Amino acid sequence: MNPRATQAEPGVAAPRVDPAADPIPPADHLVGQSCRRIDGLEKVTGVAMYGADLFPHAADLFAKVVRSEHAHADVLAIDKSGALAVAGVLGVYTHADISGTNLHGLIRRDHPVLADKRVRYRGDAIAVVVAESERGALAARDRVKVAYHALPVVATMEQALVPGAPKLYPEGNVMGDKRIRRGDVDAALASAHAVVTDVFHTQTVDHAFLDVEAGTGIWDGQMLTLNTPGQWVHEERRLIALALGIGVEQVRIIQPATGGAFGGREDISIQIYLGLAALKHPGKTIALRYDRAESMRARHKRHALKIEYTLAADRAGTLTAARIIVHSDEGAYASTGIAVMRKAASHATGPYRVPSVEVDVYGVHTNNNPTGAMRGFGACQMAIAYEGMMDRLADALRMDRLELRRRNLIQPGDPVTTGQRVDNATVTECLDRAVARFNEKPYPGNAGLPPHLRRGWGMSAICFGLGYGDGFPDCSRARVELNDDGTATVYTGGVEVGQGLLNTVLQIAGEELGLPLERMRVVAADTELTDESGSSSATRQTYFTGNAVRIAASELREQLLDIAGKHLRVHPHEVTLQQGWAFETARDANRVSLARLHQEGLARGYSLKASALFKPRTVTEIRETGQSPRAFITYLFGAHVSQVLVDIETGEVKVERHIAAHDVGKAINPQAVEGQIVGGVAQGLGMALMEEVVYKDCRIMNAGFTDYIIPTIKDLPPVEAIIIEHDDPGGPFGAQGVGEPPLIGAVPAILSAIYDATGVAPHTLPVNPERMWQLLQVREGRPTAVA
Amino acid sequence: MPSALAPLPDDIPNVRIACTVNGEPVVREAPVDCTLLSFLRDIVGLTGTKGACLEGECGSCTVLVDGTPVTSCLMLAAQVAERNVTTIEGLSDGNALDVLQDKFIETGAAQCGYCTPGLIMAARALLDEHPNIEESDLLTALEGNICRCTGYASILEAVRRAHRELVP
Repeated sequence: MNPRATQAEPGVAAPRVDPAADPIPPADHLVGQSCRRIDGLEKVTGVAMYGADLFPHAADLFAKVVRSEHAHADVLAIDKSGALAVAGVLGVYTHADISGTNLHGLIRRDHPVLADKRVRYRGDAIAVVVAESERGALAARDRVKVAYHALPVVATMEQALVPGAPKLYPEGNVMGDKRIRRGDVDAALASAHAVVTDVFHTQTVDHAFLDVEAGTGIWDGQMLTLNTPGQWVHEERRLIALALGIGVEQVRIIQPATGGAFGGREDISIQIYLGLAALKHPGKTIALRYDRAESMRARHKRHALKIEYTLAADRAGTLTAARIIVHSDEGAYASTGIAVMRKAASHATGPYRVPSVEVDVYGVHTNNNPTGAMRGFGACQMAIAYEGMMDRLADALRMDRLELRRRNLIQPGDPVTTGQRVDNATVTECLDRAVARFNEKPYPGNAGLPPHLRRGWGMSAICFGLGYGDGFPDCSRARVELNDDGTATVYTGGVEVGQGLLNTVLQIAGEELGLPLERMRVVAADTELTDESGSSSATRQTYFTGNAVRIAASELREQLLDIAGKHLRVHPHEVTLQQGWAFETARDANRVSLARLHQEGLARGYSLKASALFKPRTVTEIRETGQSPRAFITYLFGAHVSQVLVDIETGEVKVERHIAAHDVGKAINPQAVEGQIVGGVAQGLGMALMEEVVYKDCRIMNAGFTDYIIPTIKDLPPVEAIIIEHDDPGGPFGAQGVGEPPLIGAVPAILSAIYDATGVAPHTLPVNPERMWQLLQVREGRPTAVA
Repeated sequence: MPSALAPLPDDIPNVRIACTVNGEPVVREAPVDCTLLSFLRDIVGLTGTKGACLEGECGSCTVLVDGTPVTSCLMLAAQVAERNVTTIEGLSDGNALDVLQDKFIETGAAQCGYCTPGLIMAARALLDEHPNIEESDLLTALEGNICRCTGYASILEAVRRAHRELVP
């Protein structure tokens, strides 16, 4: 529960008409305001309680997880004796101690909570130890002896697909596939004027949220209560209940303050081990936290994709066909991989009109970490490919890069990869605005640069289908209540992970109810107190939960207008709600406070609360063709321009300037939207230039921030965010969302700028100094020592 | 079983640590290998200071020891004996926010908020030690603090505004 402070209300006993009354202050019009974050104060003072902050105050016992040291092995025996001999150790639990299905997984329930027979990646959980001290739990964890029979390891997709390769699963290593078929690609390629082909390799990326997994759990014999950070508390509750063998109604999850997520909290983690430990020690509060290395070794990652891309155009530069084959490293378990594959396929040609398209995406199991949700969710990897191909095609056609894009960008009513026709296609405006901003300052080019430096600029145009899409049930619920003091409370199951959801829902409800921010509170992400609102992912919370909150708040508003109409003796249509008052629109001295309205409403039989469900439908893509008239509920568009400086002697790339233009429908809180845009560019810069989870024989070699390099303040140029607002007719106050597109747009724009600077088009990420240097050597025909 | 086993609980003796935290004398028993971060959070109970990388790379755990910023995950608690430690909890004097805290809220620099205490402490030390720092040097001074959410623009703006307020 996140109770938020409220302040003094207008007097309850105010007379109905008081000619001498002060005028009611003007409306706040919260939608569109950069209101201060309601959780800002507690965060800047250190008062906010994150999962690990519960430890010194609440922990009775401590848990740790024993993890596989093998990437692929049969578990023959688990010897607990050494662990149980450690002072203060109370229990060591294995799969045999779990009475439920012992399986979790967001789409397929394929991942054992604790390995029963086989481990499939280094990091698979095998046992949970519980001790009186954290140190005791750590000592015991290291003293659980597991006997393995090592199996051949599948380290790469190539190894997985070799005939006769070791199989992770009896049915083989291909987890699934997804295809798009539109038009006649063979014919289009045969008659094309220009055809370009390249192969892209995107890397494995870690979410690297700062707040490592930590939390507490207690079983009181009736209810398992978990204070744990996730991204979808209601789904986590289901998964935990099924896996551990208790009723769904016996699990309560309460989200503490959460330090980032980016998709990395979608798959279940500490919740389920805490649940197991708590069930074994009734009445005791169990605490569990990972350290950074365990966080990185245990958690799923962003999919590494191999993308083979062929793109064709006619003589005028009009795109005619694309043939795209994608192989996706799914790692050891399904996670959300199937959905990522679908999103990759449905975004394969981005915001471009391509009449003939073939896309084949194959998910391939390896013994690497499972791969699943991360900001961009397959769409970001495809943007690297389609934008890279647009630059290559422009060269092949000897055509201006911008002109080629403008010629082929979808216009309102044009179809995207899935055949869905998009009415709100504003991508051309995004691109034009970004380029216009870039041109506001003179571009210095290479003039005056020393000979080892090259400057370049590049661009990207991207689209993103909002929500789960593809017919997957996707909905949010919300409840809004007027309290007896005239304040209102918004209840949402949505999870605040830093993105600003709490402000979004309050600003929307406040706009409907005429209440200032200080006179509202929000209760979020507590499975007992709030209704399900889906995950904080897929850039969906503003649109989905925002709509649910708006519908509920407007229903409550109607009640208030009715009650106020009776009280003020005017028609409800003549009543205005503003600053905690209801008053006659033409005569604000005829007024009543919301606190008084609450009393009166109850007396008249009103509930003074309202609930809403927002559940729009999407249409499942046809299996054979991947086509759907409504694959996604709506589309987001953006365009970036990036300017880089490349040191051709060291391979170092410095981003000097970056412009990001995004159509967000309506910015509920422009400061928060800008924060998402600039933050997304930062993560995109990391993905473009530095971040990479390095595996050696399926072991992560850089499970820590010393070796997993994240952008610092010095790596970021001034990022110019351009917020474009075209109301989405289906969004709350026209709002869409903004979480993922800024990252998606940033990476290809940086790569495009590198191409412009050096004449070398990168195809393997990240373009760290070593790779950049290699590319330059290859171009010069020099031998390179590095493979 | 890993080759290097975590030590048994009884293998690590405790030491008595007496220091000053946020102006208050603190005397506590702590294991000899206890980091300052763990001492502050797990033993003193001041959880405003955050641990994130635990290897001195991200700056989330920055506190001031005798006014100098340190990454508390790399310092042993025993090293602060008889010294003054200031944490985020000690920054605002009860009612009034420190100017940095105020500016961080104003610019939206606290998104997930996990890097915020460390960044505010690092910036506080910087502005205390170098009130006349050039704005261009702010970047170098804040380079040791990682933020995964904001892209740093709002953080830089907050520190700039605080700087301007302190050094008009």
